[in-house]
Amino acid sequence: MFQQVVQFAKKHKIKLDTAVNDLPKEQLDLILFGDKNISSALVVDVNDESIPHEYTGSYEGIIPMLKRWFASANSTEALREWVVQFMTLQTCSTCNGARLKKESLWFKIDDRNIAELSDLNLDNLAAWFDGLELRISNKQATIGKDVLKEISERLQFLLNVGLTYLTLNRSTRTLSGGESQRIRLATQIGSQLQGITYILDEPSIGLHQRDNHRLIDALKNLRDVGNNVIVVEHDKDIMLAADHLIDVGPKAGKHGGTIVSEGTPTEVLASGSDTAKYLNGEKTIPVPLERRKGNGKIIELKGATGNNLQNVSIQLPLGKLIVVTGVSGSGKSTLINETLYPILSKYCYDSKANPMPYKSVKGLEHIDKVIEIDQSPIGRTPRSNPATYCGFFTEIRTLFAAIPEAKIRGYNAGRFSFNVKTGRCDVCEGGGMRVIEMNFLPDVYVHCEKCNGKRYNRETLEIRYKGKSIADVLDMTVEDAVEFFQPVPYLYRKIKILADVGLGYITLGQSAVTLSGGEAQRVKLSTELGKKDTGKTFYILDEPTTGLHFQDIEHLLNVLHKLSDRGNTVLVIEHNMDVIKVADHVIDLGPEGGDGGGKVLFEGTPEDLIHSKESYTAQFLKTELLNIP
Amino acid sequence: MSEISNDQIEVSGARVHNLKNIDVSIPKNKLVVITGISGSGKSSLAFDTIYAEGQRRYMETFGAYARQFVGDMERPDVDKITGLSPVISIEQKTTNKNPRSTVGTITEVYDFLRLLFARVGEAYSYNTGKKMVKWSEEEIVENIFRRFDGEKISLLAPLVRGRKGHYRELFEETRKKGFVKVRIDGEIKDLAPKMQVDRYKIHDIEVVVDRLKVSDDFKVRISQSVQQTLKLGKDLMMVAVEKEESKSKNQNPRSNTSNDKTLFENSESDVYNAPVDRNIVLFSKQLMCEDTGLSYEEPSPNAFSFNSPYGACPTCKGLGNVYTIDMDEVIPDQSKQLKKAVLLR
Repeated sequence: MFQQVVQFAKKHKIKLDTAVNDLPKEQLDLILFGDKNISSALVVDVNDESIPHEYTGSYEGIIPMLKRWFASANSTEALREWVVQFMTLQTCSTCNGARLKKESLWFKIDDRNIAELSDLNLDNLAAWFDGLELRISNKQATIGKDVLKEISERLQFLLNVGLTYLTLNRSTRTLSGGESQRIRLATQIGSQLQGITYILDEPSIGLHQRDNHRLIDALKNLRDVGNNVIVVEHDKDIMLAADHLIDVGPKAGKHGGTIVSEGTPTEVLASGSDTAKYLNGEKTIPVPLERRKGNGKIIELKGATGNNLQNVSIQLPLGKLIVVTGVSGSGKSTLINETLYPILSKYCYDSKANPMPYKSVKGLEHIDKVIEIDQSPIGRTPRSNPATYCGFFTEIRTLFAAIPEAKIRGYNAGRFSFNVKTGRCDVCEGGGMRVIEMNFLPDVYVHCEKCNGKRYNRETLEIRYKGKSIADVLDMTVEDAVEFFQPVPYLYRKIKILADVGLGYITLGQSAVTLSGGEAQRVKLSTELGKKDTGKTFYILDEPTTGLHFQDIEHLLNVLHKLSDRGNTVLVIEHNMDVIKVADHVIDLGPEGGDGGGKVLFEGTPEDLIHSKESYTAQFLKTELLNIP
Repeated sequence: MSEISNDQIEVSGARVHNLKNIDVSIPKNKLVVITGISGSGKSSLAFDTIYAEGQRRYMETFGAYARQFVGDMERPDVDKITGLSPVISIEQKTTNKNPRSTVGTITEVYDFLRLLFARVGEAYSYNTGKKMVKWSEEEIVENIFRRFDGEKISLLAPLVRGRKGHYRELFEETRKKGFVKVRIDGEIKDLAPKMQVDRYKIHDIEVVVDRLKVSDDFKVRISQSVQQTLKLGKDLMMVAVEKEESKSKNQNPRSNTSNDKTLFENSESDVYNAPVDRNIVLFSKQLMCEDTGLSYEEPSPNAFSFNSPYGACPTCKGLGNVYTIDMDEVIPDQSKQLKKAVLLR
């Protein structure tokens, strides 16, 4: 192609080394859009080889070429990705984003077409449907009676679980985990099935305290229809609303797995367990007496207008623990994950990320690193585990290779990897399990009988460090490993962090697929913490308390505090009052979700926030802060 | 079964993961919350024991053949679970990454909305913004009697609307069917053997099915002719009032040099929005704009689905947005040399 351009330019006397600005418009257009009329015979030298390669035909032009490559089914993924760099996603000019053909948009009910209705917030849509049968003709009402009833019911279920701010045309890609869970919940309630056992995993995640009662009502509704509802949950309100509460514990991992107490919430409260103490308010996460001053530097983001944000400007004081909060759908994620993070990563790593629209940003020079820690899983293969993810497994292997016995035998670090042929068990290939294919019956997983699940061959296992083989080390919990590796500072430091983020109970070799979202997030967090921070690092965490019990939150907060004490900035998106109350700086978005939100209600310390009248967060924070014994 | 109490799910001897051989009874028809610090075994109890067993039992109901496709369900390490009803887990998984999946589609509200629009929606013409009408055969006959009583009319069935061609075969075929007159570009002509029209011009051709005077004597004949006209004209027909003087000079209002917009049948009448002839009245069994002759197909729920080719916007294929070339990305820096400025990243 480039050869074509060169030849074409030569023919038309276009100088390729002129600056674009100085080039006559016709010439630029010729290069970009091609020459349709004249079929020119271009002689293309392929790499200046002696044989001239004859090319006859019209010059296509760069832009048509890109379009053709993008549309062609023959183009490879890589080529298409390359082309996409030069394109932007724009609202379709034919339908203006309505997605339907022109004819379909000219069918109307009560003067609204289907695309207009899809664009309404669910509460407005429900209001429009309310009494619709009186606004349309009798004939229409008779035909549509059943459909109308069905729609109104379904909408009502969605409103009941607090999803008032969504629109029907909202793409499910952009929904948070909590939102999609609540949609499924609403759908299930709508199905009116009976005698089902529903199991829900932390439905309160991502839900602001204000909307909790709606969720509880929805759960009760599901129960009243005649179902069993089992909820795994850490939220105080939901625990107290339960008919029957089961407390599993007392501690994590090996120290857990028993029923501490069960019964009605009142009975559990009286049991004196750790959970009960937090519920009673006997044990609380202390509010720091003094808020961090920060280092006086700020990042200032002005005029963010992505999604529902209404020209939001915020100031982020650096060196502080910042919490961004607000009811669901108020625009927290848009502001932080889709605007701020791309800006920062563009600045720090020159990444290609595309921030949502904003006017200006100042103060970026005060940071040199940005780290986002989300809840996506750390690995999808059973061969990935916390030790390999955090990177210290390499160091453990090096440690094993340095043992005199290993040196005598000539084992290097690779020998101790279960992914490398030499050291692993050759029957299960380091998996510890063997898959027996049963042809038309499902595959059966059995413990590898050769290595007995240890993943390594006998020779490798003979190398012992302080009496433990490499397999024994993988089988250790983080807690035990901390003790075991105390004399090895570089290992100790990294493993200790895993324990610090509340993961003391997982084993080093636990397969990544068995980790929950919250656990995966904390593994990532500890990996980041294990790296040398620069003191000018900007951390962004999205709801790190997911799946955490009161005690774990305390652990987590300690880690976050440590980070900010070293001069880093930690920004947390969170609904949990325990996190909000210990923040140095709170940014509250709202007041409502969707179109009713997207404004900054408050910026400042938690103490000042409780005086805010508009903010829902303030009301809940008030009870939390004044609870201080 | 007799000893099993009906109001509890009994789990005995659960040993999944770190669970220590525990027995739990979970009351039915109650809101039950399981709590505890992370890693204490909540999920092991709720998901890996109760849910897993429920799923496994459900899978067992399939034959061995079907089970090989759904994969293997491991039996949770538990002695006994009784009183278990079908289990549905509502997890946090973000459901679908497909850009075609929306809140409306996953909640099925949009599907009902489509149905509602297909059955109850009222069509408006995108040319004039007026409400569209459609007629039944009886209504057309009634209308003819009301509007043209005592007048002499022709019933015309449109065969060609705004297309180029010489139409030799069409004329021949029509002639063989026994029709004697056609109306070409507004002018009524006798069908003659080897007749043809200018192949490079756009033509409107209707066949004259019947010419008669509207009066009660011809009631049966009119309704039969209307039926036949609609059949020939594919649900569309015209009624031309014959006035002695207007019989001739009816120039086709469209300029014949205009581009041939070969769109699909319905929107062809886009270009047809001229006031054809005040003495011509269009009737259609399909939804039609009375002023411009624009007609829509009978709406089906599909026509409102952006995930169906019947409803999707043809440009963006129902996605709502399209990739377009961004010149700022193609030439990020205008001051650079041409050979170094274009398509470089």
